[in-house]
Amino acid sequence: MNIELENVCKIYNQGKANEVKALDAVSLSVEPQTMVCLRGASGSGKSTLLSIIGCVFPPTSGKASVAGKQISRLPARFLGLYRRQVIGFIFQKFNVLPELSVLDNITLPLLPLGISPAARRLRAEPLLDKLSISHRRNFPAGEISGGELQRVAIARALINDPPFLLADEPTAHLDSKLSLEFMEIVSDLKASGKTIVIASHDPLVTDHRNVDSVIDIHDGCIAH
Amino acid sequence: MRPSTRFALLLLFILTVDALLLQVWMAGSGERAEATKQQQATASTLGLTDLCVATEARYTRHPAASDPIAPFMDHPGAIEHFPSGSFWRPPASTISSGG
Amino acid sequence: MQTSFIQKHLNILDYALSSLLRRKLKNGGIALIFSLVIFLLASFQFLTQSLETTAEKVLVFAPDITLQRLSAGRQVSLPDSSIGSLAGIFGIRQIIPRVWGYHFDEKNGANYTILGLPADSIQKAEVSLSHGRLPQKKKPGEVVISSSVRASLELGERKSFTLFRSDLSQASFTVVGIFTDNTDILTGDTILMNLQDARDLFRLGDGMVTDLAVSVTNPAETDTIAAKISGIMPDTRILTNSQIRKTYRTVFGWRSGFGSVCLLTALASFVILAWDKASGLSQEEKREIAILKFLGFQINDILALRFWESIAVACVSFLLGLTLAYIHVAFFEGSLFTPILLGWSVLRPSLNLDPAVTFADLLLVFSYSVLPYLAATIIPAWRSAVIRAETII
Repeated sequence: MNIELENVCKIYNQGKANEVKALDAVSLSVEPQTMVCLRGASGSGKSTLLSIIGCVFPPTSGKASVAGKQISRLPARFLGLYRRQVIGFIFQKFNVLPELSVLDNITLPLLPLGISPAARRLRAEPLLDKLSISHRRNFPAGEISGGELQRVAIARALINDPPFLLADEPTAHLDSKLSLEFMEIVSDLKASGKTIVIASHDPLVTDHRNVDSVIDIHDGCIAH
Repeated sequence: MRPSTRFALLLLFILTVDALLLQVWMAGSGERAEATKQQQATASTLGLTDLCVATEARYTRHPAASDPIAPFMDHPGAIEHFPSGSFWRPPASTISSGG
Repeated sequence: MQTSFIQKHLNILDYALSSLLRRKLKNGGIALIFSLVIFLLASFQFLTQSLETTAEKVLVFAPDITLQRLSAGRQVSLPDSSIGSLAGIFGIRQIIPRVWGYHFDEKNGANYTILGLPADSIQKAEVSLSHGRLPQKKKPGEVVISSSVRASLELGERKSFTLFRSDLSQASFTVVGIFTDNTDILTGDTILMNLQDARDLFRLGDGMVTDLAVSVTNPAETDTIAAKISGIMPDTRILTNSQIRKTYRTVFGWRSGFGSVCLLTALASFVILAWDKASGLSQEEKREIAILKFLGFQINDILALRFWESIAVACVSFLLGLTLAYIHVAFFEGSLFTPILLGWSVLRPSLNLDPAVTFADLLLVFSYSVLPYLAATIIPAWRSAVIRAETII
């Protein structure tokens, strides 16, 4: 269950006037059950790198494999299917639907899998308990605090029980106390066997004791 | 209750109302059959050629059996466009003068 | 596999319904307008259909052949002695001379139909009266009227009334019977009297009638007999029963066609509205779809979501519109559309419509409303389904 990238390039708007080279020959590997940080300023390419690892889009060139599967040549449809099996993604802005209840937000990824409402609730219960948001389950997501929102986002990323958990600037909208709390939660997840990749430039994250390695990204390249 | 169940109940409710309406309609079917019989007997024995649905002019009262040419039969201001005349009654001012 | 497919679509339907509810104002508005369009279309269809059915059912019993004399292209009266010249035609069962005409009530603008028949025919007639009896032979001035005529003449409990003759002298009549309201669709404006009284009222010469009602022994021979009559009496107009019914189909067909064209405009504007609402995705909606796609919804799931939304709106609107249309036609006589289908009248008899809703009617309304709506929402749905998941990163 590891991640291997070899000479991965990503060029946006290829062949057009606004062509941007976001990643240039990036190679890296992430060992299973580790926590890895991608550190870099905004615009450095770390979000693009995270997206490729997260099976959001394929690289323009180079080889990328996630959990033993080559994803660099996978058509978009299969990439999406694969993503929902192996990747849990936590966004910088959480991206929850504010009118939906906490429970409905968390179980959203289960809808297209044809899982009944009762079974969905059953799967969400332990996560709600583990992240201490059970008391909020029927609240609209738009009416809960930022810290709770973050936990909703984590619970949603974990609902499919994926081996990989990816987070893009997860602490950008949290104060230091909540940021540390977030790190404790993901540390527990690492201990329970998940592989965690976090893109961040927050020292509270990158300098955390449970982070196994930090990869610095600068202008689309890995800085050595 | 999940939304789709509630939605199904809503549709079921409308269909129940429809079924009740159908019931009401069925309940009147004997009466209607009787009325139809009476209408048929009346048409047959009085030799009536037309339905009494628009009574204002002879080509609307008896579209099947009146003059083929009937100018100005609605009222003097009406433009003749089809034997059934105008859709609505002309304003009182145009007919009160004895048109 | 099968159950999870159904469960998946139930899940998506759940989501579609709750997202419809979240945008209550927009979707409620669309459903309301859509119901209204379907209500109009279906009312029109039911109303036309029930009028055509009634005409067909009743007018089969109209006289097989109606004869009228034409002079200079106008209908004029003819002497009843011309019955004699038709006596030789084989297959004629009976010829009844009649006087029918119109009497305009200047007081309230109503127009009555005067029907004068020979006393013998009246005695034999099977007419349903709500009370009273038919006019008797040798009793001048006896009439049967409908309840609407009685109301229009403001008779109240009085039995006698007068009508002006063409020379402004007054003819007096006595009401001896009232037609049942069940036959209003035939007799709603009718004053039935003896032939002689009708002649007197219209100042027709002795022995003159307005037309002859001919019945034949074998209805299949009607056209042959009509041809023979026209050989003997070339100055007459001959109306056969089938022509009369054809005329009715044409009249209602023309009218309902006119109305349908008006309604099609309404339908077209609704489809444009639906298209516009479906394609004008707000920033919020785009973000929502991107989130769903990121969380594992495929293009076909988003299409299913949009499809279920449209189906839900269409189902509710279709059922609601049809139900209201049925109530409108069956219990309110389609009062919104009677001016378009029937024109205006001072004396409007009750129609007692009988909207027998057929599968063909439903299918017609369905294909004129639900199908265009689904078509109008499917292309915008595709456009929303291809929004890329990564736009939310």
